[in-house]
Amino acid sequence: MADTNGTAMSELTFEQVTVRFGTGSRALTAVDSVDLTVPSGQVVGLVGESGSGKSTLARAAVGLTELAGGQILLDGVPLQHRSRGPRPLQLVFQDPYSSLDPRMTIGNSIAEAVPRSADYSRAGEVARLLELVDLDPERASAYPAALSGGQRQRVALARALAGRPEVILADEITSALDVSVQGTVLNLVRDLQRQLHLSMLFISHNLAVVRYVSDYIAVMYLGRIVEFGPAAELLGDPQHPYTRELLAAAPRRGALALDVEELDPALRAVADAEPADPHHPPPGCRFHPRCPIGPLVRPDRELCQTVDPTPDAGRHRHHTACHYAAAALQAVDLVQ
Amino acid sequence: MATRTKSGRHGWAAVIRTPLGLSAGLLLLLVLLLAVFAPVLWSHQASAIDTDHLLEGPSASHWLGTDNLGRDIFYRVLVATRQSIALALLATAIAVVTGLLLGTAPAVLGRRAGRLVTAVVNVAVAFPGLLLALFFAVIFGVGAKGAVLAIGFAGAPAFARLTQTLVAGVAARDFVAAARIAGAGRIRLLVRHILPNISEPLVVNATIGAGGALLAFAGLSFLGLGVQPPAYDWGRLMGESLNSIYVHPAAALAPGVAVVISGLAFNLFGEAVAKGLGVESIGVTRYRRCSEDSAQPEAPTSQYVVEDVVLSVRDLRVTFLGPDGPITPVRGVSFTIGHGEAVGVVGESGSGKSLTALAVAQLIEPPGQVSAERLDYLREPLLDTPDADRRQLLGTSFAMVFQDPTTSFNPTKRIGAQLAEGAREHQGLTRQQATTRAIDRLRAVRVPAAERRAGQYPHEFSGGMRQRAMIGMGLMGEPALIVADEPTTALDVTVQRQVLRLLESIRTEDGVALLLISHDITVIGQVCDRVLVMYAGRIVEDLPATALATGARHPYTRALLAAVPDLDTDLEQPLAVIPGRPVDPGRLPSGCAFAARCEFADDRCRTEDPELETQLDEGHRVACWHPQVVELGWPIRMGQR
Repeated sequence: MADTNGTAMSELTFEQVTVRFGTGSRALTAVDSVDLTVPSGQVVGLVGESGSGKSTLARAAVGLTELAGGQILLDGVPLQHRSRGPRPLQLVFQDPYSSLDPRMTIGNSIAEAVPRSADYSRAGEVARLLELVDLDPERASAYPAALSGGQRQRVALARALAGRPEVILADEITSALDVSVQGTVLNLVRDLQRQLHLSMLFISHNLAVVRYVSDYIAVMYLGRIVEFGPAAELLGDPQHPYTRELLAAAPRRGALALDVEELDPALRAVADAEPADPHHPPPGCRFHPRCPIGPLVRPDRELCQTVDPTPDAGRHRHHTACHYAAAALQAVDLVQ
Repeated sequence: MATRTKSGRHGWAAVIRTPLGLSAGLLLLLVLLLAVFAPVLWSHQASAIDTDHLLEGPSASHWLGTDNLGRDIFYRVLVATRQSIALALLATAIAVVTGLLLGTAPAVLGRRAGRLVTAVVNVAVAFPGLLLALFFAVIFGVGAKGAVLAIGFAGAPAFARLTQTLVAGVAARDFVAAARIAGAGRIRLLVRHILPNISEPLVVNATIGAGGALLAFAGLSFLGLGVQPPAYDWGRLMGESLNSIYVHPAAALAPGVAVVISGLAFNLFGEAVAKGLGVESIGVTRYRRCSEDSAQPEAPTSQYVVEDVVLSVRDLRVTFLGPDGPITPVRGVSFTIGHGEAVGVVGESGSGKSLTALAVAQLIEPPGQVSAERLDYLREPLLDTPDADRRQLLGTSFAMVFQDPTTSFNPTKRIGAQLAEGAREHQGLTRQQATTRAIDRLRAVRVPAAERRAGQYPHEFSGGMRQRAMIGMGLMGEPALIVADEPTTALDVTVQRQVLRLLESIRTEDGVALLLISHDITVIGQVCDRVLVMYAGRIVEDLPATALATGARHPYTRALLAAVPDLDTDLEQPLAVIPGRPVDPGRLPSGCAFAARCEFADDRCRTEDPELETQLDEGHRVACWHPQVVELGWPIRMGQR
């Protein structure tokens, strides 16, 4: 099963996964019945705003958060989180300044994640991993304080690879980095993915970054996946109004991302609407209070206020959770 | 972060270097030496019974007099050091070990057992320590062993509680989660990751705890619950001499003084350690505004004449005192902002862009120093205006928006009241008028249901709404300039667009100038008329936003533009990167600071620092020996004007 890099990557499936924090009236459903598949050897990009539950989903997958419902399967087998030994799923954290122990050399941090084996020495394995992420193996004895943010993030990647995982979950791994460094980390992620055929869930709020590394893109809004499809298709022909809004806000050559033209008052109101409170998610479609093609702009669409479009998502292209997914097309001119 | 990690080794040396640390350390050493050697040297003198000299006062042969068996009290006090210190340390050790076990138990045990331990510790902490000690003394019996156990266990709950808190703080950090995912067991997590990161505060508290244990032990022995004869410690000596305190005060006071000195030695040393390890090593200098020591050649100002200048900055410098001499993260920045103009400052972290904004807003706190040849706001030289006038000027005609809207409001006051506060102070409005204006301004920044929201607290606002309220606060006066430091970095993209739109409409409607600081060159390109690109504390390029797309000349600006992936980035090519890492402001190279990362750099770049000079067209300044004129291969059209 193990080739030179010990990577026999496999398919990660979330089935009706629900994560809840707190109890009673303060309960917060961070992830609500999410179905998502990361195909073997592919990268699924997960975008959404803060509080949409992207990170919670990743933390649930590695066992840092307990599930309130559903299950997570690896190649069809439910995941068991043992307290010891290497784990098939590895998470790379957002902030490389807090994800490395300041009192441990980077070599030791990586070595800790290397499973005991007779086939190789730990020191050799650490050197190999450091080289894999373009760091000088000589630096194994350095402390994280001596490294820049980008270098630390590469150490974090090496540590994640040390356990010879089957799936990598990358949680906003470039958002704490400067643009000049972001590129090196993204290039590395792409190279490693191609070289090792990693299955990967790549989480970011930045659509342009997700586009660069992903084969598929899933869009998350308030704990639910609202659209999922092959990256190029989804970006070229977005179905959900929220996806369109994200696309409109992303920087783009030749496009004016910021328009100050006076909008229709109803459109203006939804454009300025506050993101919904996750403690009290709106009934029906969760996006309806902010939707430019929803009931606040088109009064005849009361359906959105009462009926959750998620169960019917399969009927639309890209599994879009929107009653008017097809109709969204005409509305885009109004918003832009 | 770096200083915190370094503090491990350098911190202890720093502790000894302070006067308090040094004297406390020496005192403690003396006490410990006495504890070790006094019984060896003087136990004979201390136990020699001299029936000819019973209960005598101080004399040449017996400096502190004798006790009821004629034994020399001076030597007895010295010899008692070992017993007193040893028992105190033993009790502390019991407290620390028990405390550590109880404190780390929740991290090692499962959730339910952990909660039980936490609850037990919480209950134990609620009991007064002395009460616990007396209680244990009764259980363990009267005597040294009982007293040690009593004081040890009495001190354990407080230590356990401290450990629990520290463990919880470190356990929540990502590196612990990362080690868990890597497969590290609970014990390993505790020993390798958690304990090393909490050891310093624990050591400090154990030291202070030892002082407390010493006092407590003296107390118990004094009451007769501690050391039993013929053994003796300071408390016992005090108790024995108490009856004759009016006749021979020295005999009773001497052991008391010994307790006080040793207790002080422990406590002061603990405090010095806490201070030495906790305080960052930034030197403190007096805050002074200086414009005279600008020995640097005068930085050329913009040739580009703006009528109706709102802000004029020439040769602005911000200096801090670092461990190895002064660091100047902003080195001679010059620019002007005209009426209603939007100027963006872009650069990587550490480029000095935020410090420039803070210096303009007069928010650099000592020991930071701001100097400028000119720093004029609405024609008033800010550095030479008396404090009260400056506050009035900035209070009414200047607005600042910070990056993190969660920390820029007082969480305990209603949003409306916080907006009204400044207006009452600076514009002399009544409470009613100020509140009305606050609601009006909230409406102006498009906060829905402004009247109701004004009565809410900051936590009831979402991030984007709070940022709008912050901008509304700036609009309470009649601002001529809004300085926004990364106003949208903490916000989601869709919300970011709302806030940028709002800033843009305020600017066009009210003619307010905008100084927008951001690391995101696309944001700057969307909102601003003019872009200042900063690198290593200097402006390296000053260009119109419309020229950003195709006309950028400085290799750094061009590299920044190329490095940002957008929705049209070629997926087949690797992303453009800027090799190397930003310059450490404490170690600036000679010549151009960007030379080491620049593909066009030659020997001149590495020796001579280029000045910011006007290039070809008006309003475009570049500090580069090799400005690039070839059109960018990645035409990014971002500016909207």
